[in-house]
Amino acid sequence: MKKLTGIWKKPAAIAATCALALGLAACGGAPASEGSQAGSAAAAPSGSMTLEDGTITFATSPDYPPFENLVDGEYVGLDMDLGRAIAEELGMTCEYTNIDFDGIIPAIVAGGQADAGLSGISVTPEREEEVNFSTPYYVDNQAVAVLNTNTALTEENAAEALNSADITIAVQSGSTGADFAGENFPNAEIVTFPNFTDAFAAVQAGQADAVCGNLAVVDQMLSGAYTDQHTILTSATGEEYAIAVSKDNPELLDAINEAIATLDENGTLDELIAANMG
Amino acid sequence: MEIVKCTGRPNSDKDQTTIQGGTQSRITLELALEPDENITQVHVDIPEGTQYETDDLAVTLLTGDDLMTRTELTFDLAAEEDAFTMHFDPAIADAGHLNIIIYGVYFPMGGGDMQVGVSYQAEGTAPVTVSDIPVIHVEGISGPEALSQWLEEQPWVQAWNENRFLHLFFDPTILVTSFPVVLTGFFMSLGVVAVAFPLAIPLGLALALMRLSKVAVVRGIATTYVNLVRGTPLFLQIYVAFFGLPLAGIDIPSFPLGVTVMCMNSGAYMCEIYRAGILSINKGQNEAARSLGMTRAQTMLYVILPQMFRLVIPNLTSEFIVLYKDTSLLAAVGVMELVMYARTIVASTGSITPYIVAALFYLVITLPLSKVTRHLEERVHGGRRRRRSTAATEKGEAAHA
Repeated sequence: MKKLTGIWKKPAAIAATCALALGLAACGGAPASEGSQAGSAAAAPSGSMTLEDGTITFATSPDYPPFENLVDGEYVGLDMDLGRAIAEELGMTCEYTNIDFDGIIPAIVAGGQADAGLSGISVTPEREEEVNFSTPYYVDNQAVAVLNTNTALTEENAAEALNSADITIAVQSGSTGADFAGENFPNAEIVTFPNFTDAFAAVQAGQADAVCGNLAVVDQMLSGAYTDQHTILTSATGEEYAIAVSKDNPELLDAINEAIATLDENGTLDELIAANMG
Repeated sequence: MEIVKCTGRPNSDKDQTTIQGGTQSRITLELALEPDENITQVHVDIPEGTQYETDDLAVTLLTGDDLMTRTELTFDLAAEEDAFTMHFDPAIADAGHLNIIIYGVYFPMGGGDMQVGVSYQAEGTAPVTVSDIPVIHVEGISGPEALSQWLEEQPWVQAWNENRFLHLFFDPTILVTSFPVVLTGFFMSLGVVAVAFPLAIPLGLALALMRLSKVAVVRGIATTYVNLVRGTPLFLQIYVAFFGLPLAGIDIPSFPLGVTVMCMNSGAYMCEIYRAGILSINKGQNEAARSLGMTRAQTMLYVILPQMFRLVIPNLTSEFIVLYKDTSLLAAVGVMELVMYARTIVASTGSITPYIVAALFYLVITLPLSKVTRHLEERVHGGRRRRRSTAATEKGEAAHA
C-alpha cells in the first residue's frame, strides 16, 4: 500500500509511467507498419505469420465439444480435424494454441499468437470489421435444454413458454446461442456465462431455467456430464461457422479457402462432420 | 402456407434483445408448408424505409420430424427496392418449414414496428397473402451508436484505427458504444461493494474478537474460518457458493449471493486487520483500564476499539479497493457486473476496447481512494506524534507546577 500511494509523491514516477505507456503504444503499433513477422517473433516464438514457415497455428478455445475440446491433452473435434485437414492440404504442420473464446479475434488482429482462429466462430457483421472470414464450413443448429424434473417447460409449449419474463435462459457470452435466445425469446431474462459448461451448471444448480446453445454441443453435454437435462427445442438457424484470418494476410485466407473448397468437393468435410457429430 | 416466425437479429450492445434502426441486422422468416402445396413463387415485402441485400439471401427447406434436415433451395430472384420475388422451379411440394434469411438489413433510423409482408403462389392458382405475420419491434438508433457511426466516417478516426495498437485497445467507435453499457455494470459492481463492505465491517470485528477470545473453541472456529477463506482463491469460493449452495437447497438470487460471498471473504481479511490493530495497542492501556475497575468488555469497548479504529482506517480503505476490484470475479458466474458487460462486447466485436473502458471505471474509484488512504495514513501517524508531544508538554508543565 505504501508503494501504491508513494507513486503520487513523485512526479518523476508519473512521468516514467506515462513514458512506459507511450513506449508500449509505439511497440504495439510497429508490427502494423513493418509487417507482422517482427511482432510475432517477439510475442510468441512458436507462432508464425508466414506460409513459408511450414507451420500454421490456429487459435482455439477447447471447451466446446464436439467442435473442440481436450481429451488427454489432445485437441479433438470437428474444428480440430478440419484444421489438420487444411494444414495437410496446404502441406504444412498444424499447431493449436489455447486462447479464451473472447480473446481469439483480438489475438488474430494483434498477430503473433496465431495465424487463424478456428473455434466455432460464427460470422457476424461486427466481427467482419475486425477480421476476414473464410468460406463457412458448418451451418449451426440451436437447441434449448431444461432439467428433466422441469414439468413447466415441455417440447409442446417450448416455443411460447420460453418467451416469458419468468424464464431465465443461460447462454455463453458472444455465442450463437446468445444471439438465438435474444432473437427468439426477447421477453426472457438472459444470463451470460464466459464458459458454456457453467451455463449447464447454472441450470443444474437452479440458477437458470434453461440453457441455449449449439445443438451438437448441447447433445454432447447432455450425453456426458449433464444427463439430468433434456432438449425441449431445436431449430435450424442460419449461423455460419468460419475460420477467422487477419486482414493483413489475404494470402492465407485464399489458401484456406482453396483448401476448404477441395475438402468440400472430395467429401472430406462431410465425412468429418458425420464423424464428429455422430 | 402459414407463418411460424418473423424475427430480426438483435444488434445493440445494450442488451441481447434490442433491435435498433440504422445498424446492420438480419431478418429471419420461417413459413410452415403443407405437403403438396406446390409453391412456385414467394413474394416478400420489406418494411418501408428498410434497406436489405440479396447477395447472401439464404432459402432453406427444413424437413423431417424435428425439422432439422436442411435442403438449400435454388430460385430465380427478382428484386426491387422494397420487395423481392423468388421463383421456384420445380415447385416446392415437400412438407416442412421454409426458412428465409435476409442479410444486410438496415431498419430505418427512427425505428418503429416493422411489418414484413409475404405472399405466395401455388401452381395454377392466384397469389395468396400470408396473414398474422408478427411485427418486428425496432428501436430508434441509440445516441452512442449514431455517434459511433458518425465517428467511423471521420478521417481522423480512420487514421487512428490504421495503427493496430490504437485500433485494438482504443477504437473510438467502440469506445462510445461500450461506455454506456459498461456504465450499467459499473453501478452493479458499486452496488455489490456498497452492500458487502459495510456488512463485512461488523463481521470482521466479530471474528477478530473471537480470535482474541480466551475460550479455545470460539478461538478455534474463528481461526479455522479465517484460514480457510484467506487460504483459498476467492474465485473458488464464488464457484462453490453459486453452484454448491443451490444444490444444498439454499436458493438465493445472484445479486444477494454475490454480495454474501464478497462480504464473507472480506470479513476474514478485515478480521486480520482488526486483530493486528488491537494487538498493536500498548498492553499498558489494557492494564490501566482494568486497574481502574473496568471490565474486559468495557476496556475493549471504551479504550481499545476506539483507538484501534483510528489506526486501521487506511487499511480498511485499501481493503475496500481490493473488494471493489474483486467484484470482477463474479463475472464467471453470470453476475452482470463491469467485466461481464465488457467481456460480452469483446466477445461479440473482437475488440479489446471495452476492457479499457472497464479499466477506466475501476480507476475512477481506486485512484482517488488510494490518495485518500495516503492522507488518512498521514493523519493517523501525524496525529499520534502530535498527541505524544502534547502529552510530553503537559507532563513537563505538571512537573514544573
